[in-house]
Amino acid sequence: MTAQDTTAQGGGGGERLYLLKVLGPVHVWALGVGIVLVGEYMGWNFSVGKGGALGSLIACWIIGLLYTCVAMIDSEVTSTVAAAGGQYAQAKHIIGPLMAFNVGLYLVMAYTMLEAADALVVGDLLVQVAAETGYAALDPKPFVVLTIAILAWLNYRGVFMTLTVNFVITAIAFIAIILLFLGLNPWNPSESLFHKQLLTDLPYGWIGVVAALQFGMWYYLGIEGTCQAAEEVRSAGRSIPLGTMSGMMTLLIAASLTWFLASGLLPWEYLGQSGVPLYDTSRMTDSNGLQVLLFIGTLFAAVASANGCINDAARAWFSMGRDRYMPIWFGAVHPKYRTPFRSIVFLIPIAVSFAFTGLLDQVITFSILSGLLGYTFMSFNVVKFRNKWPLGTIKRGYVHPFHPIPAILLLTLCSATYFATFLGYGTSLISIMIFYIVASVWFAMHRYRFVYRGDQFTMPWPRPIGH
Amino acid sequence: MIFWEIFSYAAWALAALLLGWMLLDLIKVSKDYSEEFLLSAREGADELLQQDHAQGGKK
Amino acid sequence: MQKRYQPPRQSGLGQFLDCVFLLAIVYASLLAPIVLDFGGGVNKHQVDMVQGEQVTWEALGQNEVMQAQWQKLGYDAEGAAEIITSRFDYSIDPLALVITAAVIIGYFVFILKVSAKEYRDVIRENFDTD
Repeated sequence: MTAQDTTAQGGGGGERLYLLKVLGPVHVWALGVGIVLVGEYMGWNFSVGKGGALGSLIACWIIGLLYTCVAMIDSEVTSTVAAAGGQYAQAKHIIGPLMAFNVGLYLVMAYTMLEAADALVVGDLLVQVAAETGYAALDPKPFVVLTIAILAWLNYRGVFMTLTVNFVITAIAFIAIILLFLGLNPWNPSESLFHKQLLTDLPYGWIGVVAALQFGMWYYLGIEGTCQAAEEVRSAGRSIPLGTMSGMMTLLIAASLTWFLASGLLPWEYLGQSGVPLYDTSRMTDSNGLQVLLFIGTLFAAVASANGCINDAARAWFSMGRDRYMPIWFGAVHPKYRTPFRSIVFLIPIAVSFAFTGLLDQVITFSILSGLLGYTFMSFNVVKFRNKWPLGTIKRGYVHPFHPIPAILLLTLCSATYFATFLGYGTSLISIMIFYIVASVWFAMHRYRFVYRGDQFTMPWPRPIGH
Repeated sequence: MIFWEIFSYAAWALAALLLGWMLLDLIKVSKDYSEEFLLSAREGADELLQQDHAQGGKK
Repeated sequence: MQKRYQPPRQSGLGQFLDCVFLLAIVYASLLAPIVLDFGGGVNKHQVDMVQGEQVTWEALGQNEVMQAQWQKLGYDAEGAAEIITSRFDYSIDPLALVITAAVIIGYFVFILKVSAKEYRDVIRENFDTD
């Protein structure tokens, strides 16, 4: 990349900075799958705890349907509103400023908290290695901080290298799951897997299946992060739908394999509370090679996820700064690396502090719920999008089929998942909702004063119908 | 084991180095360039928008 | 034709305080469930599956394969019992459910109403003024 093709002439005549436009569909895939794949290595199995192994499988399929709706809707809107900030920019153009502020917060919170959880996983893995080599007192803190520091540095220095690295480590983590599957003689499953003897009836009945929806989200949580790359992708209208849809297919394969392997080797009560279910599965195979492979897979998946989260959270925070939803200071682009460098640096201590609160459960619930609020927003967002700019009035990169069925389905499934969160995590749910309500009131009463009104609308579209 | 202790200190040191580098670069950039230039990025700026423009989309 | 809204310039201190405020309410909401009830926001309890002092795999309802897998994981019946008998409490408090639903629905209604009002200004300023 030379300096010439990285700067563009602005409309006002002066030179303007832009985020670097260098990514292809492969990077979009790496960003989406990279964030999510750690969910197959850990987290999804808490749905087994909430509803039993079969309950988790049903939840995996139902939530798979939810995310298929999300991917379809998101591909249409993002391929049309191609801006950093993804869903935040969509909300700003389609629903309005307060919704956009909330969506921006969902993104920053969901990703920064997930990043913290990922870094903790890296620390815990090293503690485990140290313990196995006879050093029981390893403090994970330096490694948690180092993980975040290295990834933030990578992000600071440029998006191309960041997501190329993410592609490599995500691919390795995905291949590790495939190799574990192949290593267990899937062509002769009764020899190495024990589904017949290990699968039980639904331990909580059908309400357990509903409750399992909450952690069933881990199978796919974060795939919608692909939209954050919109401003840095070459031909966003084509690359983002392609990267998102292929990412969704990768995850459906990974989720099915993961469930199949883990439930065939581990009793559900153990699986439901395991910290590293896929690694535990590999421990049951008596193969040192597979164990090492799955250990590396777990490590890489966690690092890839944290890396993608830093990328996405910084883009969302940057976009909010650029519009003055947050202090304008964050809206700066690095003149050399073309990254939202101030947002990246600002979010480092915050991620570290989340990791060190010792409230991992809370942090993860906050992250999932922020994601869920975002999906709820998408369902009515797409309906308004089609109403304000019907097909044919503006150029869309992709048009999703069967509208409005995906939107209605999405809203229904989101409601069921709120109910699932209420079952067992009711107090957390209320306290997080109160956070978003307080933040909203604060934005409407105080923060919105600093925002230019008309400038928020940047798309070259005709006036929306009904306004 | 001494190895893990050294490893821990090395991790702290490397983390501090990277964070320090980012912080210094951030300050340097803010000094070397005008704030207006740094904040000059605008939303969108995609060929998708230009296509729309060509079709006479806006206003 | 209407005049464009000119926002005030925010001082550096104001920008800093806004960040501090936002972070403060994030931490408050993370800590709230811990402070308000001691379950950490999670309802779990132990069920009685085992009578007497002797914990056996049979009493825990584990068949031979399950037992073998537990042992391979490094658990004896006693250790496994703690995990096996821990269950979620899915009894529903109707009042809490109604309040939770009202909070979520109320939140979205509030957001959409205020957004729609602000959005009209944005559209008017963007399309009606120069």
